[in-house]
Amino acid sequence: MSTEQNTVDVTKSANYPDPITNKDLMKSWVRWWWANEVPHTYDRMVAPSFLFGLMPTLRKLYKNEDDLKEAYQRHMLFFNTQAIWGGGTLTGIATSLEESRAKAIAEGREEEAPSVDMINNTKVGLMGALAGIGDAIDSGTVQYIFIAIALPWATQGSAWGALFPFICFGLATFIYGYFFTKMGYGLGRNAAKELLAGSKVKTAIDALSVLGLFMMGILAGSYVKVYTGLKFTISEKEFVIQDILNSILPGLLPLLTVLAVYLYFDKKGFNITKGMVYLTVTLVILSAIGIL
Amino acid sequence: MEHLTVAQALLIAIWVALVESRILGYATLTLRFSPLMTGLMVGVITGQVAEAMIITAAIQLIYMGAVAPGGALPSEPAIAAAIAVPVALLGDLSPQEAVAIAVPVGLLGSYLYQFRFFLNTFVTRLMDKYAAEANDKGLVISIMVIPAIISFCLFIPLVFIALYFGAPVIADFVNAISGGRVLHVLEIVGGGLAALGIAVIMHVIGKKSLLIFFFLAYFMSVNFATLKINTVTYAIFGCILAGMYVLFTSKNTNQ
Repeated sequence: MSTEQNTVDVTKSANYPDPITNKDLMKSWVRWWWANEVPHTYDRMVAPSFLFGLMPTLRKLYKNEDDLKEAYQRHMLFFNTQAIWGGGTLTGIATSLEESRAKAIAEGREEEAPSVDMINNTKVGLMGALAGIGDAIDSGTVQYIFIAIALPWATQGSAWGALFPFICFGLATFIYGYFFTKMGYGLGRNAAKELLAGSKVKTAIDALSVLGLFMMGILAGSYVKVYTGLKFTISEKEFVIQDILNSILPGLLPLLTVLAVYLYFDKKGFNITKGMVYLTVTLVILSAIGIL
Repeated sequence: MEHLTVAQALLIAIWVALVESRILGYATLTLRFSPLMTGLMVGVITGQVAEAMIITAAIQLIYMGAVAPGGALPSEPAIAAAIAVPVALLGDLSPQEAVAIAVPVGLLGSYLYQFRFFLNTFVTRLMDKYAAEANDKGLVISIMVIPAIISFCLFIPLVFIALYFGAPVIADFVNAISGGRVLHVLEIVGGGLAALGIAVIMHVIGKKSLLIFFFLAYFMSVNFATLKINTVTYAIFGCILAGMYVLFTSKNTNQ
């Protein structure tokens, strides 16, 4: 880029980045959302999907073929995050950083542009924290709130038991994922800070946690079935242990089972497979010898 | 139903490949983490929707905790349902017996899913090459088309063989060994394993001070069982409580 061109209006030149519109953000979001786990590999994780999402945007920004190739390659570097909270927000942030970089390069002030390192570090620095929230909220809470509501319909043989959680979860996450993309673009690097520490998001997470735990309580009460078949006969009077337990506190054994597993995860570390093996073995032994 | 037809087994196998290749976007998350939609598909394909849903509901209970922190799922509920539901329909098995089939199948399925990552890794070189050339068409092929084809080649034949040849055998086998004590053990394990998933989600939500809402809901559902309150109503109670919690706690911080 020569200095004469700078004195003319550089923003009118053919090499100047096209403006990024909401349509572009939606396009990148949909492409990332769609590719997400398809090309998951061991060495790059979901980086190819991230590049797949940004491709049309990068092409609008970098009119110089070499800059474009560099941009494509830097988004192929190792990257792994959750699709909605991590992928949505970071697609927006990366778009905003790439736009500033492309503009700065086109205006010939490359030293002021967000550096390649800064773009990479922002992605890598935020992907883990955002994925942590995303896994807990989306797959861990929102998904199971919908499933908890629909499960009784499935138990009664209705197709809505499957359709309701699928449609609701798909729609909800798509919509707020796009919201995160737009927020990421609008706020740039500050977006993640806003998301991780912002009071609105914290409030939403708290409310979802309350609802999630509440629905787990309802499910535990209706579907965890642990009961004892033990009975004793003392001086010709029969004592059925389960009846005695029911008269003390209905639902005691299922609750103890849930709490035992919960405490196991709390004290011994969160290992689902181990928890599953121990619980299954315990249940098999207790039911085989007739205690349960 | 005596056995699955070729078309039925093939359709179920294609559905599994659609889910496990993740080619339907992030919507495949629930499809993969929950057996419900796969169970429904099996029901539609075999013409026994109601029976399939009842069996799948029992399988869903043991997979309540499928949340895959960091991407690794210890079991593949969709694959588990794709095999266990048809087997249960073929053998006229109880939902508990279906659960007993689902558990080992789901574990095997998770290895298959990881094998997919391994196979995809070979395509990375191609992706790098096209990225360096800024070749959009090449990138679409290497990022989307080839990994999808890999998954289809991996899942369709295996699931088809398991269903077409394996399902009747498993159904007969389970019918032969179960009954009496074995059925009782399966019933207890199926009913008790639901505790695992619920505990997993409680742990993932991870806010100990909020566990009182779990206890409240637990005793509500146990003690109001005879009132037959449906879960939508309970979800409304839950939303109101969540709203109240936010209302009260935000007031405190304003003062």
